[in-house]
Amino acid sequence: MIKASNISHFYGKEQVLYDLSFEIGSGQFVFLSGESGSGKSTLLSILSTLLQPSKGELFIDGEIISEIKNIDIFRQNRVGFIFQFHYLINYLTVYENIALAATEDKKQNINKILTELKIAELSSRYPNEISGGQRQRVAVARALVNEPKIIFADEPTGSLDSNNSLIVYELLKNAQKGGTTVVVASHDMNIENYATEVLRLRDGKIL
Amino acid sequence: MIALKALRKNLFKSLLIFLSITIAVMAIFLISSVSQGVIGMYSKMIKTDGDIIITQKGISDTFFSNVDISLIQKIQNIEHVNSSYAMIVGASPIGHIPIAGIYGTTPNHFSHYKLSSGEYPIESEVILGENLAKQFSTKEINIANRKFKISGTYKSEIGFEEGGVVMNIADAGALFNRSASFILVSSLSVDKIDEIVEKISKFNSDIEVKTTQNFVKEYNQFKIIENSSFVISFLAFAMGLMGIASVMSMIVNSRKEEFGIMRALGKSRFFIIKNLFFETALMSVSAYLFALILSLGILALLPHIEMLQGYVNGTLSISSALYVLASTLIMAFLGALIPAWIASKTDPILLINQGCA
Ligand SMILES: Nc1ncnc2c1ncn2[C@@H]1O[C@H](COP(=O)(O)OP(=O)(O)OP(=O)(O)O)[C@@H](O)[C@H]1O
Ligand SMILES: [Mg+2]
Repeated sequence: MIKASNISHFYGKEQVLYDLSFEIGSGQFVFLSGESGSGKSTLLSILSTLLQPSKGELFIDGEIISEIKNIDIFRQNRVGFIFQFHYLINYLTVYENIALAATEDKKQNINKILTELKIAELSSRYPNEISGGQRQRVAVARALVNEPKIIFADEPTGSLDSNNSLIVYELLKNAQKGGTTVVVASHDMNIENYATEVLRLRDGKIL
Repeated sequence: MIALKALRKNLFKSLLIFLSITIAVMAIFLISSVSQGVIGMYSKMIKTDGDIIITQKGISDTFFSNVDISLIQKIQNIEHVNSSYAMIVGASPIGHIPIAGIYGTTPNHFSHYKLSSGEYPIESEVILGENLAKQFSTKEINIANRKFKISGTYKSEIGFEEGGVVMNIADAGALFNRSASFILVSSLSVDKIDEIVEKISKFNSDIEVKTTQNFVKEYNQFKIIENSSFVISFLAFAMGLMGIASVMSMIVNSRKEEFGIMRALGKSRFFIIKNLFFETALMSVSAYLFALILSLGILALLPHIEMLQGYVNGTLSISSALYVLASTLIMAFLGALIPAWIASKTDPILLINQGCA
């Protein structure tokens, strides 16, 4: 489903990923672990098409990412993202933030998802009017709204307390049970309990 | 409409951009229209009452020119000449006013100054422009150590003339020690103007005879005002436009994170640019209109500000207003869309990270 083939990445002259090749099967819950600076975020950005690798190819469902003509539509339909910081748009309400990401045929899902994530009553507030945990749930809702085949999450609980972290893990686990592939990069070893597969990075290499 | 939401939520920022565009556009309008206005008034004064102007040869300034007034008799006899009059234009302290315009003219030109009270002046009398008259309650005034009786007050279509005095040309000649500054001749028919110019030129080798059209076109004073106002308004214009462009590009740069998020959510480059386009257009067009209204208001007030004695006047032509509109929009778009275009080509995750840096 996701196939990395000889991926290397440089920031300027500094190499941070070294010739990585691996596959992630459909419906897995992958935990990408490693020390700070080991390259987790970089690899996750590349896997999620948000960053072009300096070398190597990425395949998703057999398609070569670097050759996809309309990457926008591909991103909108196939993948969802959750970042360490919520990255909601400050001038749009909770509802509008989710609607911005939603494709036309998925707009009807918005209210259902808001209810599932227990943020329905917040739908007309702006991001600066809700708590950090609530924001992260909105970000999760936004990632789920198009029912993507793959969800990428970079430190999704980095700014949350353990209660809110648990909520987010459960949400991700539920998505995986529904058939979605989930890839999470994190320091938090608790995720190992949810993962079906663990990828360990050290200094840009897979152990 | 997402563009409107962005503007509304960032109201303070939007207001600042709005104001900086407004000020830039107003500076452009006011500087260029005031200088155009001054030139316009003076050329109107010369053009309205004559087709031909006679000045001293080699003296390019009407203030210093000296022409023999007796030429008028000969000119009257030329075929197709309608009328001719002589004028002395000077400036001098009047009473406690440090400097005011003095217009000495032959009586056949008095009607140019519309009496609002009293009578036209005879020898040793003057009439005061309405603006100047407000400064005096006496019956007599002192001009260059000579006493003149005030015989009346006048109005004029040409703003700054209302800040001066009108007297007989003989009196002005005594004050400024000359016969006439210039003579203006009007023709019975437009086709005959060149013919008349040629005939007058033969009378005397000390004079320069030109159509008023040409005179105004070539007049040095105008050229100086025109050139310097062109330079100043060009600078104001350039600075205003650079300001608009740099404010817009700063705004766009400060929103890289937002564009990165949108790109990550699968929004196209076109979507981002389109919304930014609307935001920019909305802001710059409304700021432009606001500046236009303010400028027109200020220009309408100028002639009524006593301190300026009617010397400063401004007109705004439709063509220059449109020209400013076009350049404002172009600069706003260049400023906004170029960085947006560059940003939209960057990998989304790098945008997001740049945004939080
Ligand atoms: N935009 C960038 N420009 C230059 N170097 C970068 C950039 N982003 C990351 N790096 C470097 O690349 C290496 C890997 O960074 P990355 O963010 O992928 O690590 P990480 O495993 O996610 O770390 P953390 O756990 O702290 O988030 C680090 O050495 C980092 O300094
Ligand atoms: Mg990281």
